[in-house]
Amino acid sequence: MTAAVVGAGVRAPGAARARRRSAVIGWAFLAPLLVLNLLVVLGPSIATVYYSLTDWSGLGPAKFIGLANYTKAFADPDVHQAVLHNVIWFVLFGSVPLAMGLLGAYLLSQVRRFQVLFRAIYFIPYVVASVVNAAVWKMLLSPTSGIGHQFGIDHSWLGDTSTSLVSVNVVVDWHWWGFLAVIFLAAMQSIDPQLYDAASVDGANRWQQFLSVTLPGIRPTMIFVILMTVIWTLKAFDYIFIMTQGGPAGSSEVVSTLMYKQAFNEYSAGYAAALGLSMTAITAVILAVYQYLRRKGWEDE
Amino acid sequence: MTAPSLGRRRFLTGAGLSAAAIAAPGILTACGGSDDSAGSGNGKVDLWLDIQGDANQKYFNEQVAALFEKANPSVDLNTTYYKGDDLRRLVQTALQARSGPDVVRGPAATQTLAWSKAHALADLTPYADKYGWKDKLSGWAMKAFTTDDKLYALPMRVDTMMLYFNKTLFASKGWKQPENRADLEALAAEAHGQGIIPFGSSNVDWKAAGEWLMTVFWNHYSGPDALHQALSGEIKFTDPVFVEAVELVQTYFDKGWLAGGVDKYFAVPSQEIGANFGKGKVAMIPQGVWFMSQVGQYFGAKAKNANEWDWMPIPALRDEVKYPLYELGIGGSFGINAASKNKDAAATFLNWYYGDRAAALQRMADVPATYNIPIDFADTDIPKKIDPRSARVLTSLNKAVSTGDYGYVTWTWWPPKTDVYVYEGLEQVLTKKIKAADYCKELDRLFTSEKADGTIPALPAQGPAK
Repeated sequence: MTAAVVGAGVRAPGAARARRRSAVIGWAFLAPLLVLNLLVVLGPSIATVYYSLTDWSGLGPAKFIGLANYTKAFADPDVHQAVLHNVIWFVLFGSVPLAMGLLGAYLLSQVRRFQVLFRAIYFIPYVVASVVNAAVWKMLLSPTSGIGHQFGIDHSWLGDTSTSLVSVNVVVDWHWWGFLAVIFLAAMQSIDPQLYDAASVDGANRWQQFLSVTLPGIRPTMIFVILMTVIWTLKAFDYIFIMTQGGPAGSSEVVSTLMYKQAFNEYSAGYAAALGLSMTAITAVILAVYQYLRRKGWEDE
Repeated sequence: MTAPSLGRRRFLTGAGLSAAAIAAPGILTACGGSDDSAGSGNGKVDLWLDIQGDANQKYFNEQVAALFEKANPSVDLNTTYYKGDDLRRLVQTALQARSGPDVVRGPAATQTLAWSKAHALADLTPYADKYGWKDKLSGWAMKAFTTDDKLYALPMRVDTMMLYFNKTLFASKGWKQPENRADLEALAAEAHGQGIIPFGSSNVDWKAAGEWLMTVFWNHYSGPDALHQALSGEIKFTDPVFVEAVELVQTYFDKGWLAGGVDKYFAVPSQEIGANFGKGKVAMIPQGVWFMSQVGQYFGAKAKNANEWDWMPIPALRDEVKYPLYELGIGGSFGINAASKNKDAAATFLNWYYGDRAAALQRMADVPATYNIPIDFADTDIPKKIDPRSARVLTSLNKAVSTGDYGYVTWTWWPPKTDVYVYEGLEQVLTKKIKAADYCKELDRLFTSEKADGTIPALPAQGPAK
């Protein structure tokens, strides 16, 4: 016993040194990214907190105005409308591509030949730059020469206030669903085939197998994708900005495009910073809920 | 363990995304510092420009940059090209970070004034005195860029609005160029009845296109006298003469004369409208002078048609308004970055660009509208080898300035936030979310507030200008 204790005492300093050395090496590898993050994320974030409390125009000095930008944002009908559009965007973006991705992945998982080819075809819209996709779709949705016009439907999808937001969302869904299909397919391929065999022996049909084996099998991926979708919803900008610039008359305006306009067109960068921080706070709440649920084991059930 | 760290990273990314976009300039400012060095007058001068297309960039490289460097071998002009809207955002961010180009290609006068008020632009008054710029450039344009007796930029291009028309279509239909509202509306009704869109217009590729329309209707319906009074604060934008102009725009849209209707104005890309203009499916396009450098692509062999285009002055939309009348404005500016380490060399370039009158006129003759800097010249000074349509722009504007028959474009004489509301608010009117009177009321509120802040350029006095 004594010898063992002595032996342990002798080994301890060496092990501690090794742990310290390992930690130092770890930090050394982490340092460049950490410094970069401090510079490009934390620094501007702190600056944004400050600027959100000022009347900064985006150029020159800023005057401290307290919480005026936040109180203005709470009462601003343009912000209310933009937030509502973000919610609509989330509902559509969180359901349509997800459903299409799941269906596409499941169908692909049943295919034995040309699966790689189909996977590549699904993936193409995601690979093409959003600027290119948006510019092409802007032409395809033209009421006088687009796809609809060729079939006798001259509706102005982007020019009608009741369809502009949904129309841009359809394009984004088209761009996104193939990516989800490939992600889901990878997750589905990691499910033990014996589970399907067992379900089959128990008399489960395809739909029942999908509900009872496939969906639970890809649960962590699903939750991760939903989280990504929420974040992407709050970040929605590029397609809207290129295709409608938030118009007509704000009918497709979301918070990010409104923020851009305030910062760069109306010289209200302080107000834009307040809007950005408000969105960040909403994102933080969603992530906090996600973390809480993860700790509760929701993801692994 | 992977998921939580990924979640945190995502959180940080999400939290910092907008922050980075908005606040980076602030951080960079802190890292930078003021530098009042004028430099040695030699070395590299950075210039960021928004000239688009290989041919146009080639022209600038060969006929501007190369010629300047040949005349000034000790200065290296380093030009970088960006897309129009990207350029303004990039320059604005760079100026705040006290970096960016030495020669600043700024936006319209009111926006550039905002940059000047933020001390991002160098005072050009000493250079103006040294090089005698006030004698070389038109006084009205120079005054627009002068505040508190300090010159903060030089006017880049004289802007006006014109009515482009398909000359071949007009000839085949026996249509005459309208000069007043009655003739214009009769023509529009006839064209519309024949399935031709009378006036092509779209804001799909340039959201601010709405202010082109309001510039046209306020100048040619409300009139320059009313505008001058409103911009001087003597009358309000809520005056019926302004409200009626907005209602007239709405009426033209409702009748399907403008763009074929509101929904198409918001959805048909400008390229498609241009193509239809060339084919004769669109009769006229109310557009700025800059469109001269693009309209040719829709006509002739390249566009697979045998049609020709021309332009006419915008008809008077009310009896009390003169015809012809040209609204005057400045499309962009050239300034010097307050943080430039080589201000003298940047000023050398500006002096070469604005100072050589013969070279400037040659550029105006070579490229339609793009290089129309506001310098004083006689009609006889215009090079003989010029497209007669371009020459007519130059002579018409010269005459308008000398007789005082000119108006005011929104992007030069309206303060920045009011200017943004001109086209943002118009969308609300066109989609019937608000009425024309409410639009003018909000416009007046913004204008009054900004005028009080002093973010409005000096208006040219009414009457003959120089």
